[in-house]
Amino acid sequence: MGMFNSLNQDSYDRLYSDGYLFKRIGSYFANQKRVLWTIAGLLLFYSVLGTVFPVLIASAIQLLDDQKDRPQLVLLLGGLFIAAIIDYLCNWWRGRMITRLIGDGISQMRSDAFAAAVNRDLGFYDDNKSGKIVSRITSDTQEFGNILVIFSDIFVQIVQIVILGFVMVSRSKELSLLVLLWLPIFVALSLVFRYLSRVVGRQGSRAMAAVNDNIQESVSGISIAKNFRRENLIYEEFVSVNKQSYTINLKRGFVLALIFPVMNVLAGFGSASIIYFGAQAVVTGAINVGSWYLFIQSVERFWFPIINLASFWGQLQQGLSSAERIFALIDSTNKVNQIADVHIEKLNGKIEFKDVVFEYKEGTPVLDRFSLTIQPGESIAFVGHTGAGKSTIAKLIARFYEFQAGELLIDGQDIRTLNVQSFRSKLGMVQQSPFLFSGTIADNIRYSKPDATDAEVEAISRSIGNGEWLETLPDGLQTDVGERGAHLSMGQRQLVSLLRVLLQRPPIFVLDEATASIDPFTETQIQEALDKILAQSTSILIAHRLSTVRSADRIIVLRAGKIIEQGNHESLMEQGGHYAELYNTYFRHQSLSYIENSREMLAQNT
Amino acid sequence: MSAEFVAHVPFKTNHSNPFRFILSHIIRHPLVGILMVVGAFSNAAFAAAVPYFIGVAFNAVIAGNQQDVIVYATLGVLISQFLRGCLQLMRNFCAETFSQRIERDVRDELYASLLGKSMEFHDSQPVGEIMARVTNDVREMNLMMNPGMNMIVGSGFFLIVPLFTAPTIYPSFIILPTIFLVLYFIAQYRFIRTLNPIAQRVRSTFGDMNARLAETLDGLQVVKGAAREQQEIDAFNKSVSEVRGYFVKQGYIEARYISFLLLSLLTIGGLIQAIYLYELGLIDAGKVVAFLGLLFLYQFPVYSSLRSLSQVALGYASARRILTIINAKTDLDQNNAGRSETIQGRITFENVSFGYSDTNQSLQNISFTVEPGQTVAIVGQTGSGKSTITKLINRSYDVDSGKVLIDGVDVRDWNLASLRSQISIIEQDIFLFSRSIADNIRFGKQTATQEDVEAVARKVQAHEFIESFPEGYETVVGQRGVTLSGGQRQRLAIARAFVTNPPILILDDSTSAIDSATEDRIQQAIWAASEGRTTILITHRLSQIRWADHIVVLRRGKVVAQGKHEELLASSDSYRRIFARYEETTQPLVDAARG
Repeated sequence: MGMFNSLNQDSYDRLYSDGYLFKRIGSYFANQKRVLWTIAGLLLFYSVLGTVFPVLIASAIQLLDDQKDRPQLVLLLGGLFIAAIIDYLCNWWRGRMITRLIGDGISQMRSDAFAAAVNRDLGFYDDNKSGKIVSRITSDTQEFGNILVIFSDIFVQIVQIVILGFVMVSRSKELSLLVLLWLPIFVALSLVFRYLSRVVGRQGSRAMAAVNDNIQESVSGISIAKNFRRENLIYEEFVSVNKQSYTINLKRGFVLALIFPVMNVLAGFGSASIIYFGAQAVVTGAINVGSWYLFIQSVERFWFPIINLASFWGQLQQGLSSAERIFALIDSTNKVNQIADVHIEKLNGKIEFKDVVFEYKEGTPVLDRFSLTIQPGESIAFVGHTGAGKSTIAKLIARFYEFQAGELLIDGQDIRTLNVQSFRSKLGMVQQSPFLFSGTIADNIRYSKPDATDAEVEAISRSIGNGEWLETLPDGLQTDVGERGAHLSMGQRQLVSLLRVLLQRPPIFVLDEATASIDPFTETQIQEALDKILAQSTSILIAHRLSTVRSADRIIVLRAGKIIEQGNHESLMEQGGHYAELYNTYFRHQSLSYIENSREMLAQNT
Repeated sequence: MSAEFVAHVPFKTNHSNPFRFILSHIIRHPLVGILMVVGAFSNAAFAAAVPYFIGVAFNAVIAGNQQDVIVYATLGVLISQFLRGCLQLMRNFCAETFSQRIERDVRDELYASLLGKSMEFHDSQPVGEIMARVTNDVREMNLMMNPGMNMIVGSGFFLIVPLFTAPTIYPSFIILPTIFLVLYFIAQYRFIRTLNPIAQRVRSTFGDMNARLAETLDGLQVVKGAAREQQEIDAFNKSVSEVRGYFVKQGYIEARYISFLLLSLLTIGGLIQAIYLYELGLIDAGKVVAFLGLLFLYQFPVYSSLRSLSQVALGYASARRILTIINAKTDLDQNNAGRSETIQGRITFENVSFGYSDTNQSLQNISFTVEPGQTVAIVGQTGSGKSTITKLINRSYDVDSGKVLIDGVDVRDWNLASLRSQISIIEQDIFLFSRSIADNIRFGKQTATQEDVEAVARKVQAHEFIESFPEGYETVVGQRGVTLSGGQRQRLAIARAFVTNPPILILDDSTSAIDSATEDRIQQAIWAASEGRTTILITHRLSQIRWADHIVVLRRGKVVAQGKHEELLASSDSYRRIFARYEETTQPLVDAARG
């Protein structure tokens, strides 16, 4: 089954046998056996009733012809009435039970998948886009829910075909044969249409995507067009794109519009043949009028389910591969594994790397026999070109990744023996692009310390720049930050994520500094917050700002995973080594002398 | 041409309400519309012919061997179904043409109206929002016509045809279909009334769950860092069970679909009535069969109406949303009679106050003056009102009180087209079109030659990186792996503005360069662009601020300080704090400024 979706395979996808898939899907309903049996019973009953209806009507017609047996006719009508009521109730009950069953199954699966996703290593998310995982948790589970509906539909259809087929054959073998003769034509035609609509669908959606891109662009460009007063140009372009979209859609629509008329004509021809040959059979006495009527009524009831089965098969395959994708997510494994479960009550913040080797990909070590001791309370700034290994060090300290050799000790304890959750709760981390969750600013500041009081949050917030940053927010600390913090500026987000750490007062602080530009006022406040944190924690700084680098106790210069220089800013500059080079590449423009001399240097006075 | 663009849309439609809007689009295509209805009607009529011919064949068989009648009935079914197919094909083609044309026209109309809207409107509408209207909502209107209306009209005839053909079999056969239709419509109405709000809740809770999930996984590092996995799992499970709740509720309502029962009861009722009449000798067996066959026609609308009705409802809601945009008013008047001369470049704010809403003042009593050719830096925290100031200069908005003057004339007394065409704004989010770099640069002045384009590119330090692409100036932006960095995009935007040589340039700049060499080039571009024109800079670059001719410091919509760098170091506490990080070298400067 993996063959069909090899285009969007992910590294953790696996192949399960269909048998295993069914068994595992079944396990989600194992504790609902009674419900399952009831549904199965109802389905069987319902499908029998579905065929009983036309048979009873045909019998009534037959009795009409016989001109006698009135009590039996009344009985029959009574039977029909009861069948109708039971049929409806059955359907109603079945609908309720299946809905509930599916609802519970999907929910359970979503919970499992989400718990699995949350517990995966961060390394897992380096290889797999979170958007794709989201769609496994929401859409694939939905698809999976459809399997159950499809199952029950297939069940009903098959039972009905069998019963109807049985009744028809018992009435007339010749007419049954006639009905069957039409069948291959129907199936072949439906397959042709399926193929056709897939082809035009694919072409159409490709063309539509191009057109949509184009519309997206012309809509996004409206304000530029207005700025430069080029509305006419952009409008003409739009009109031609719009026309193209019209033509493509029309062509696709025409192909799809063929399906039903052709099928209807074919069904009409089929009915006509049954009418003619059936009439001949009645005339020659081979069958009675009622049976003939039953055949006329049944042809479509017999043909269409079989056509449907073909498309159900495709849907079932789809549902199963959805289930496969969900299970693959649930079953994927972590690389970070702890060997013990030590809770450190009080962390001092000493960090020791001893000959640590780490590689993302085998054979290309990012850190090669890396050794470094960081004393409690010390603040260390790492500088180096992209790929020198700065972020890796931070990620290893946070135990987001597993290293391949060497030792990493926290307060003298092997990091692999720690309880990860309790260790991380003593770690304050700020990512390069600070991440906020939807909710208020106060909620976000409190994220690492949910039991902090409003007064604490307020006090921390006001301790930075006299709380000036709160003034520009509509509701102060209660301002809604929007999804992923979208309502706040980058600087405000950064400030909030630093306040989060300030409130937490962690023994170890890890900062991957943002590179985004921030207005100078907020920047100043960020620096204030940073100063406070540095004073209270062991700090690992992956620095992008000159001021941060200079505020560290020790600067470690990295190249290709190795420490090549260390010291403070002044001494390193004096050495004129790699640091001086890095300074000229990344930090020079942040210096005061640059600011002071920029006009002379850069203005092209002609 | 007036300032706000009026696109030449070759048709007019009614915008007073969604219903009339849809109707006025429908009547623009009379031929396909009529053919569609005719096709739908004949489809139902020919479908109704089948039970009739079956009845005929039945009578022929019961009456004995009437071969010619049997052949007649068979041919009748054959031909009527063939015609039915042909007409259905016509109907489907027409419906397709019809709906696609409506999509095309509505989109055209909406787009033209968007072009005519003011900058104020576009500033206030997120692009995503507008995109949703132009693509999805317009598509919904298409689907409303086909399959929505197509099915409703089509199946509608299946409801009506038996009503008219049944009495031709026997007059009192009109009773049951009538009763059924009345009950059916009531049932359908109530069904949709109860189902719709629940279905909406299913969608909205699902959307919430999805959003929450995506957010959590994107912020997983924070979750793990804070050891809050369990809380996130609990919160997610809560939204899962909320979705489940509405999903089950919806399933319960759907399971109750009463029209199925009505249909079965109708069939039984029809059978009883037909048998009764047969017993009385009023009709023959063929007519019993024909009547039953007519009742079976109801199956199609009963099964299909569910989807088509909600499709129409969705389309109607979309039409309403589209109309809201089309009908949105722009309050700025174009002032065609206003002043339209070459701008010298003096900008004066006199006690300007302004708020986007009545309750919230974004700017209060702003006053400052910029002389022609000067560069002004407006600084302040995010949300302090920096961008708002720029929007008052080109009249994206009008002030609430006070005055904005350009060359001593109130902006409201300028001809809007003339005013805006002489003010260039480089926005924070730079948008480049997917066309060649050269075409992007000459976007504002189509007559610019290749030499002009290159000269400008050189001035703004863009020539070098443009030439580094294999196709140079003909490189298409955003294609074949050509990605431009923020700094490069910004320089192209500056070049684009540069070509039009505006007397006033407004640069809203929030980019940052990672390395010093890029920073050099960006700054050179800005210096070059600001030369010889009045320039308003909103920037984070300290060197630009440091050397501006005039600096305005904003805080909570008020000017808290203004002047030159040295003056501000002495007068503004928060301005001084910015430079305090460089204390060892800054201190003498401050002293110098004070002394």
